[in-house]
Amino acid sequence: MPLKTRDRSARFPRGLRRSRPLTLKARQARTAYLFLLPALVFFAVFFYMPIADIVNTSMHSGPQADEFNGLGNYVDAFDDPAARNSFVVTLLFAAGTTVGAIVLGLGLALLVNRPLRGRTVFRLALLVPYLTSVAVVGLLWRNILDPQLGILNRLLKEFDLPTQQWLNTDPLVTIIVITLWQIAGYTMILFLAGLQGIPEVYYEAAYIDGANSRQRFWRITVPLLAPTTLFVTVMAVISGLQAFGQAYIITNGGPADSTDLYVFHVFNVAFRSRDFGYSSALSVLLLIVIMVFTAVQLRAGRRREVQY
Amino acid sequence: MSRNGSRNTPHNGSRAPASQPATDPDPDPGPAAGPAPGGALSRRRMLALTGGAAAAVPLAGCGSGAPDDEGGGDGGGGTVTVYWNAGHDYAAYQKVIDAFEKKHGVTVRMQKYQWPDMRTRILTDFSSGNVPDLMEEPGGWTQEFALSGDVLSLQDYLDRDGAEMGYPDDWQEAAVRHNAHRGKAYGIQLHQTCSLLLYNKAMFRKARVEPPTTWDEVVSVGKRLTGGDVHGIALNQDQSYAWPWLLQNDVRLYNPDGQELLTPRAAALEALQFQADLVHKHKVSPVPTPGTDYSGPQKLLSAERAAMIVSGPWDLEPIEKSSPDLELGVAQVPKGKKQSTILAGTSVFIPKKAKHPDLAWDLIKRLTELRTEVAVTRDEGMLMPRKSWMKEPVVQDDPLTKAFAKGLTYAEDPYLDLYVTGKYGELSIDLFRTMYQGIVMEKKPVEKAYEQYVTAGRKLIKG
Amino acid sequence: MSRAVRVTVYALLVLASALTILPLLYMVALSLQTEGETLSGEAVLIPDSPQWGNYATLFEEAPFANFIVNSLVVAGGITIAHLLFDPLVGYVFAKFDFPFRNTLFVAILATLMIPLFVRMIPLYVMMSNMGWLNSYQALIMPFLMDGFGIFLMRQFIQPIPDDLIHAGRVDGASEFTIYWRIVLPQAKPALAVLGLFTFIFQWNEFLWPLVATTTEEMRTIPVGLTLFNQEHFTLWHLTAAGSVIMFVPTALILIFSQRYFVRGIALTGLK
Repeated sequence: MPLKTRDRSARFPRGLRRSRPLTLKARQARTAYLFLLPALVFFAVFFYMPIADIVNTSMHSGPQADEFNGLGNYVDAFDDPAARNSFVVTLLFAAGTTVGAIVLGLGLALLVNRPLRGRTVFRLALLVPYLTSVAVVGLLWRNILDPQLGILNRLLKEFDLPTQQWLNTDPLVTIIVITLWQIAGYTMILFLAGLQGIPEVYYEAAYIDGANSRQRFWRITVPLLAPTTLFVTVMAVISGLQAFGQAYIITNGGPADSTDLYVFHVFNVAFRSRDFGYSSALSVLLLIVIMVFTAVQLRAGRRREVQY
Repeated sequence: MSRNGSRNTPHNGSRAPASQPATDPDPDPGPAAGPAPGGALSRRRMLALTGGAAAAVPLAGCGSGAPDDEGGGDGGGGTVTVYWNAGHDYAAYQKVIDAFEKKHGVTVRMQKYQWPDMRTRILTDFSSGNVPDLMEEPGGWTQEFALSGDVLSLQDYLDRDGAEMGYPDDWQEAAVRHNAHRGKAYGIQLHQTCSLLLYNKAMFRKARVEPPTTWDEVVSVGKRLTGGDVHGIALNQDQSYAWPWLLQNDVRLYNPDGQELLTPRAAALEALQFQADLVHKHKVSPVPTPGTDYSGPQKLLSAERAAMIVSGPWDLEPIEKSSPDLELGVAQVPKGKKQSTILAGTSVFIPKKAKHPDLAWDLIKRLTELRTEVAVTRDEGMLMPRKSWMKEPVVQDDPLTKAFAKGLTYAEDPYLDLYVTGKYGELSIDLFRTMYQGIVMEKKPVEKAYEQYVTAGRKLIKG
Repeated sequence: MSRAVRVTVYALLVLASALTILPLLYMVALSLQTEGETLSGEAVLIPDSPQWGNYATLFEEAPFANFIVNSLVVAGGITIAHLLFDPLVGYVFAKFDFPFRNTLFVAILATLMIPLFVRMIPLYVMMSNMGWLNSYQALIMPFLMDGFGIFLMRQFIQPIPDDLIHAGRVDGASEFTIYWRIVLPQAKPALAVLGLFTFIFQWNEFLWPLVATTTEEMRTIPVGLTLFNQEHFTLWHLTAAGSVIMFVPTALILIFSQRYFVRGIALTGLK
């Protein structure tokens, strides 16, 4: 399997890399754009027009967002301790959930990918938290974690173990754990689909060559799973940086803003403080940050993508 | 976002719904209201359909007001859209609406929401010019939106009909101020509630104590009642529950003259320190757990893990339903420098771009009649803003309602004048919560938390 | 697998499943409780006597059947649209080379980076101008495809051997036939994942249906459920009953789609 070199021609599908008349390239492009047309129209209308509107709004202030304010909102954002705090909180949250989701998701996927009896049941069971309503999940965790009346502390008391104020001490860790519990099954399914995409042939060949299971994992599973891993990582970072429900349903950003996730903060700026200009500016800043993260990951990922 | 609606806050109270610049998209708000398939609306729809709505009675123009602007794709041939809190869909209001529909030959479309969702909805509506004809709000929005020019002044209507409906004389003074902007009325108080001391009578009997009447007694009684798994009192995680104590120390959130926040400073610090001490020093209250609602203390009281809480009548029903055997007492709040507590309650207002302001006004008059108030109190135990309501047997004969009615006479609106800053949400909720939770949950030094709040708040007010 | 490994694996999975199945059990328990039980301080885990009437209440107090139909139409319609569009676009980005490819791909990914509520007001104004408010178009159109699905399909179509596609071209098949006959069948596990997650996302979507609908009859289940709450407290028994009903279709789709995660891709033409 030749790894990609970095000259541009390597990006062409392999089958076309022999004697390629120019027209073929043009034909390729034509087909590509034809297939892309509906998508381009759709994203232009439903995303880029609103986004242009957001950028425009971000340069205004006032409850109707109708007073021109130039880059004032952006200047304010850099001088806003609450926005800064929520950004730091969110970075920590995204880091914790991304690493956790990959480790847990891949681990579980490897387990349920084995030829086990009843693995279907496990697969279904592990995805349950992702299917249940967020509101009920929020109530469930509040009832588990409540320091006075919660189930967890009651159990700990039964066994004379030290109890905790779960949502007051390390609230961020608590909501990261809750989030991981909720999304582990989802990343597991993605990795599972990725694992299923790896042709058995490679494993058989490696087995014949006498590679042990650890070698098979590192030399075949990991590299061939790269596209899936890239997808899961990029999506985990994006959704981690955009997390909202945890604060909205469980902590309301507390105690004292220690779980004030960025998007939750922006939501409150928009719909509670009715400062759509400022909330748009904060959103544009988040957009830029996520784009940088994503571009870096895609670049790193592209180097690792294997051609069959 | 649509950028019409240059901020022309009305000075003269002239109603200009009909003369709104027609730059707004005026979309069809939906199909004609047909018979609802099942559900709560069908009964009323049936009435509407059989009771003359189909006969398309021409709209009765209400007296001297400008005739209703009937332009715009109002798909329902006279549909009055009302936003209402989902928990306030009371039978007594339904009756009023039925009569209103019959009288005017219109259909009332009630859109029921929870408060946060209603806010999301109405702000989106304001941006597009697609607004309801009438809406209920949880307190504070009327002034906030009056300032931003989104609410219709009711002054002309009141000048005409005020005497007949008893406004403002029959309303609690606080309720009138709470809905006024630059000396004109923009909303009418619908419900009015306050927070009092709810306590577990059996626990108090056992500990041989009476409900506390001073702050010192709160501590001493609290200590007597605290032991094992039980706390004497439970403070709330929600920042608005700091207010009874602050108000008792005569603290105001905003002083428009000096543009100062949380003054007088010493009194504010003392009231905040008192709450911090209940949790951290005397340990008579558990550390509140952060959350999205304010049911924490109620749950502790219901589970007999707290002996008293300061809360409003909204906690009565959950307590009654979850612990029917609990002997619940309601006492007036303890006195600090004075006796005071937080006033709350909902109002109704008409958005400026409403299509049927005259009809909406007529509906307001009907919804706020004394007999409607009495019926809602009788059916739902809700407290009301009319002074004459206080004297009604339905209030005087029920000890709990009577206690709360008494509380209404001294309860105060802590956010008075705050709306003129245009930063109502940040100052009363976001920044305030950071301060309050820092103090009661994270043991933050009171003075430091206070200073941070005031500094951040000042910066906001200056813009 | 050795016996020890097998036992360990089972133990791990049983533990993990026990932890994840909790909310479902709790949700069912809640939905069968009295209002008093749900409001009590110490969480009630097992109701005294199951209140099956809670489910009937949903249909009596609101047009709940409408909510179900609306949710099914909207989430179902959007899922079908995604299954049609996302793989096609993903395939183009995975296997074609054309000017601005990477730029366009990042531009499409960027659409994932703006929270919905930020776009909500411009979208609402747009829908309102089109006169679409309170219609299925308004609930479906803005979600016909998204960066998540396109990115997912690109990643899963990439490993499909180019030789297969090339073989199709040599045989003179049209580009669309190649996509339809060769690429799509190879991407079945990914399609199953895409359908499943798209349905779940849309099925639980709250904010957009909240603002895009203006009558109760047009609400979807998550928005409709808010009708059952009081001003100051949640009616958990009804919320949970609605959530259990909401759980059923997603669970069925999961059971249906999970067959496709299992089958390895048959590598026709390469062996």
